[in-house]
Amino acid sequence: MLDIVVKNIGARKIRTTLCILAVMVSVFLNGTTLTMNNWMYRTMTSELARYMGKIYIQQGGSSYPPIDSSISQETAQVILSRDDLEMNTAESTSLIFIRTERGMMPFMPAKQMVIGISAGRVGALLGNVEATEGTNRFEVGEQGDVTILGEEMAASFRATVGQDVTINGRTIRVIGVLKRSNMDSVNIAAIMPLEAVQRTFAKEDTVSAVLLTPKDVNQTTEIAATLRQDYPALAVVTQDEMLTEAENVMRMPMLYMGIMSVTGFVVAVAVIMSTMVMAVMERTREFGTLRAIGGRRRLIVGMVFAEALLMALIGSLPSMGLVLLMSRWMNTTLPSVAQLLEIVGFTVGAAVLAASYPAWRAARVEPMEALRYE
Amino acid sequence: MSKIIETHGLWKIYPLGEKKVEALRGLSLSIESGAFVVIAGPSGSGKSTLLHLLGAMDTPTRGEVYLDGVNLSRMADEERTYLRCHQIGFIFQTFNLLPTLTALENVEIALRLAGASRSVRHARAAEVLARVGLTDQAHHRPAQLSGGERQRVVIARALANRPRLLLADEPTGNLDSVNGQAIVDLFHQLNIEGQTIVMVTHNLGLARYAHQKIILIDGQIVDTAQVNAR
Repeated sequence: MLDIVVKNIGARKIRTTLCILAVMVSVFLNGTTLTMNNWMYRTMTSELARYMGKIYIQQGGSSYPPIDSSISQETAQVILSRDDLEMNTAESTSLIFIRTERGMMPFMPAKQMVIGISAGRVGALLGNVEATEGTNRFEVGEQGDVTILGEEMAASFRATVGQDVTINGRTIRVIGVLKRSNMDSVNIAAIMPLEAVQRTFAKEDTVSAVLLTPKDVNQTTEIAATLRQDYPALAVVTQDEMLTEAENVMRMPMLYMGIMSVTGFVVAVAVIMSTMVMAVMERTREFGTLRAIGGRRRLIVGMVFAEALLMALIGSLPSMGLVLLMSRWMNTTLPSVAQLLEIVGFTVGAAVLAASYPAWRAARVEPMEALRYE
Repeated sequence: MSKIIETHGLWKIYPLGEKKVEALRGLSLSIESGAFVVIAGPSGSGKSTLLHLLGAMDTPTRGEVYLDGVNLSRMADEERTYLRCHQIGFIFQTFNLLPTLTALENVEIALRLAGASRSVRHARAAEVLARVGLTDQAHHRPAQLSGGERQRVVIARALANRPRLLLADEPTGNLDSVNGQAIVDLFHQLNIEGQTIVMVTHNLGLARYAHQKIILIDGQIVDTAQVNAR
């Protein structure tokens, strides 16, 4: 009976088109929020994974990444040179973060940034991220105007090793391009020696944060407590605390997106349901005729559900394409197959829910309905 | 001849606000297999109500309807649906064709509901459309057909599953006299071929081929006559 369902849909072009458009908007809304939610969560967890067993010290009240944090270099040096804290000095460093391009929305991370790090300590930031060309480390003592570009930053500059790029009006030589990392802040960054960043952005004598790596990971909490006691004006955070803080920061955007997603679902259900209720009311006689010539109730129910599902799927397919385009345009991670299936599930769920009442009404049509018009 | 239909003490009472309308009042009749029966009477006499009960579309308030000895009054909805699909063909005054389908597809619907395969239903639908003289209009939609042609499509749909009983409720009511007569002539031909037909009409002039005329007034049979030898 699918061919009859298709013909019925085709026979009501304007209403079908409006319904499909509404489904498209709802699915797009849902797909975009779902993708963004997942992207934000993935970004947050991958970023924080880097700080496992580490301690981050930044200006009190500043956010993460600590673009708005400023602490004196002298204080940073004092912390880094403390022998009593049992630090792994090769994995501890001062850092400076400068945002060079804002994210699309206020709550979104920077689109591009510059990270300054002490030469010889780059491993503390990059871990095992390799270079596709050039180097992934600065030589010890390097303070010159050189940079290692994250994958997206290199693409943005269209730069390769040996070329010069301009950052804040200063010419900087590219000495390495990194492979894509699961840390987005590295992918979008130009990593430079700390002193070069301070010169380029007139931030002499200040850094954004200090990253400490205890020799014994089990001592992390204890060392953090000592530092909090010694530097009450600074924020001393461990990975767990960063996660909690990040979740707090993300709560409102996530809630907002969740509400948008639910709204999309409700709109889809309402539009499909109203379309189907009208269709069932108009076709009472047709259903009565089908019942009169031997059509079972479940056939009628199946036709109503099939019609709703078909409209929902027709509306959702182009929307998924739009979600993919939107993801690309926003420079976010493309939705996975599981996420796309989730969107299809959303559509199917909305269609089934929306068709339930009209299908129930249609199933109650008696054969006599076909004869009431006699 | 065996009896295809029997009714005993058939009552149908409809609620109408606080009142009750007695559409049929203790009606009993029998119809032989292969007969052409005309049920006539004025508006409100209960003839359509009787046809709906004979066609397993409705259930009586009291009394019994038997089709081939099977009591329709005691049947579950699913069983009556099966019966309407396989044993009964129903012809409506207002056609009741599905507007989005062609004549051929409208006939095929009945075969689909009976579970026929695509090839079988296509061949059978073409066959019955040819039988009612509509081969050339097979791919026309109802809106492209005249009233007489639409009624022929309805007859073809009713015949598609080779029903034991063909029920027609005022089949000429929406047709001009020429088309109306052509439909009655077609019924006559079908009856000659062995089809049992029960036709409701208020025009007794169309009953000249009938073997049996049943006149209803106020839900009761006031006259029944065997008018043509079989």
